[in-house]
Amino acid sequence: MQRLSGLCVLVAFLGASASCLAASADLVESGRKHFATDCGFCHGRDATGGSKGADLTRSELVARDVGGDLIGEAVRRGNADKGMPAFASMGKEELNALAAFIHSQKLLVASANGARRSVEPDDLAGGSVEAGQRYFQTNCQRCHSAAGDLAGIGSRLKGLPLLRRMLNPDFQRRSPATLTVTSPEGRRFVGALEYQDEFTVAMRDDLGVYRSWSTRTVTYAVDDPLQAHVDQLARYTDEDMHDVLAYLQSLR
Amino acid sequence: MNPLKTRHMPVSGKRVLLLAALCLSPLQVPAQDSWPTYHGNYNGQRHSQLGQITQDNVHTLTLAWAFQTNQTQQIKGTPILVDGIMYVTVTDNLWAIDARTGRQLWRHRNPDNTAFHIGQRGAAIAGNLVYLTTPDAYLVALDRYSGREVWKVEIADHTRGYWSTNAPLLIRNHLIVGVSGDFDNLPGLLRSYDPQTGKLQWTFYSTPPSDLRDEASDKTYGGQMWMTGTYDPGLNLLYVGTGNPTPVLNGEARPGDNKWTGSILALNPDNGKMQWGFQVSPHDTHDWDAAEVPVLVDAPFKGRNRKLLLQASRNGYYVVLDRQTGENLLARPFAAENWSKGVDKRGQPVPDPAKDPRRAGTLVAPDESGATNYRSPAFDPATGLFIVSAADAYGIYFYKREHGEYGWAGADYTVHSRGELRALNYETGEIRWRHDLHGGAGMAGVLTTATGLTFTGDSANNALALRSRDGATLWHAGIGRVANAPITYELDGRQYMVLASGGTLFAFALPETPAH
Repeated sequence: MQRLSGLCVLVAFLGASASCLAASADLVESGRKHFATDCGFCHGRDATGGSKGADLTRSELVARDVGGDLIGEAVRRGNADKGMPAFASMGKEELNALAAFIHSQKLLVASANGARRSVEPDDLAGGSVEAGQRYFQTNCQRCHSAAGDLAGIGSRLKGLPLLRRMLNPDFQRRSPATLTVTSPEGRRFVGALEYQDEFTVAMRDDLGVYRSWSTRTVTYAVDDPLQAHVDQLARYTDEDMHDVLAYLQSLR
Repeated sequence: MNPLKTRHMPVSGKRVLLLAALCLSPLQVPAQDSWPTYHGNYNGQRHSQLGQITQDNVHTLTLAWAFQTNQTQQIKGTPILVDGIMYVTVTDNLWAIDARTGRQLWRHRNPDNTAFHIGQRGAAIAGNLVYLTTPDAYLVALDRYSGREVWKVEIADHTRGYWSTNAPLLIRNHLIVGVSGDFDNLPGLLRSYDPQTGKLQWTFYSTPPSDLRDEASDKTYGGQMWMTGTYDPGLNLLYVGTGNPTPVLNGEARPGDNKWTGSILALNPDNGKMQWGFQVSPHDTHDWDAAEVPVLVDAPFKGRNRKLLLQASRNGYYVVLDRQTGENLLARPFAAENWSKGVDKRGQPVPDPAKDPRRAGTLVAPDESGATNYRSPAFDPATGLFIVSAADAYGIYFYKREHGEYGWAGADYTVHSRGELRALNYETGEIRWRHDLHGGAGMAGVLTTATGLTFTGDSANNALALRSRDGATLWHAGIGRVANAPITYELDGRQYMVLASGGTLFAFALPETPAH
């Protein structure tokens, strides 16, 4: 029953005017079909995550979404960096149905017991804080500090999100790499790396100004502090990984 | 009239013995104005003998035409071309367009359905029919001049979780069709149909259906043959790679090697009987198909001319087999891998159980998308290079009993992936050169030409032409990220190179000189 009342609230968000149960069931069912077709391969037919896509029932964006306002935008814009196509032409009705389905799955999962794919913070709790601290002191302190940038990290992030951030902070967000470009006239530009291929480099400077150059016409250098994280992937044993996670989780 | 007319082309290649038999079939050595099957021909080398576009003039390559599907779905398939008409697909759609202009002749749409829409690899042709497989796992035959539907058969039951992206392979009077489906515990199946009538000829199971299982059977499901295979007419053997086992990440539920998942198989196309099998990923627990293209090459191996089969597999291993017997001649990693304890005496990689998915997670290379994937490699006979879009990638893999024994049965997340085009010495697997793709794992396949060119796309924004011998860039076009494999053909004395980005197909050619 908790689920049904949740759906009523959801339908209220979506502005449906028919009776709560009928409208919600139709909308959710319509969303289920759209979801299976366009989203299911990556996010799983039940929205709990698939081969590439996130578990949407645990997504922060879905949790903050009201009546499809964030989900709709995310679907329409896509996320090319993460391999999500943009469904730019998807109509409001379809988006509402998708959002209704995702929210209904979220409620369903919250009330379900037993078998499903999930990674709980407790699953990851087996590492040694002491061993993790030793590893951290040897390998991570050149860039990080437990009392500085990582103070309280264990309170802000728990379990899987912390592990993913620890292994590669870049994977879900923008690169913190810095691009330095020297023009033929000797002018120097420094900014956040926005794009790089073998023909073009681009940055956004502190004022938000975007600039790009042909790599043929300038000299440039990229300083990517995250390369240390990538290099680390080939060195971690699983035990190291669990220990460092335990240590970071202890920084509350 | 058989539209797949044969024309002999100049054949070269210093180190490698190329096909030289008489009476070659059209799909063995296609006419240069055609690309009549998914790989261009039966051997899967994706190497063209066309010579108008050269290392000296490729920098002048320019847009000849573009065709817009106006679809959200990316073009991931290889277009095929016969008699001046090109057939291009995205999921649920097939277009016939004029290969000289990109003008649409007709479009076929599959009825709306709720099956998975992941991609469509391409069409196939026999006589006057063109074939499309659909997400709801049908095989549709259309009149290739009008688009009129001639027949439609169900390959497998999509309500059980099957779907199809497969580009069918025509071998004489057999149309070979595969399916996908690893979110459900389903037997792996490949089917052959009569190309004219759609009548089912045979079914091959890579993992047995429930009515053929007993207590002694391997508990695995899966092993779907979702990629188009290759064919040796001399040996009359069809080569096909099989997908990962199901349940996918839970290996406890299916002890043993899980044959024939993660394998390269040789089948008799007349009856679907298996001749031999080689398991590239025994007891896989990471979603690593061995469905990647089995490339057929006749070439010396350790001083002896042999009929070889080359595959860069999703698990990070490059393998060379004798394609008559299935004997392994080489198995060597071509990308980052930390999951195997080396190879056994049969040449099969040996999984390290410590890297199986676990409750607390294991850090594994490659990630689920693999060291390579559906993107086709190419083989350049002149340099002996096997050129593949590789990725060094890491993922974290989780499995606990509560995840159960059905479908995915676990969870995994990519934490890093870096794409690189790699040119391997076919005999040793040694990496001769690397070309950074500037991003994660690539999606573009590879095409080589007799003029020493390699066409592909990077992971950023570009179509690329590289020099095959060293990977140096000779041309690029910022058309967006290429997600299919390039093809080339010659019409009216003009060589075209066609590839796709997003829902748009681009045809490039050398500039035309003005008529006056």
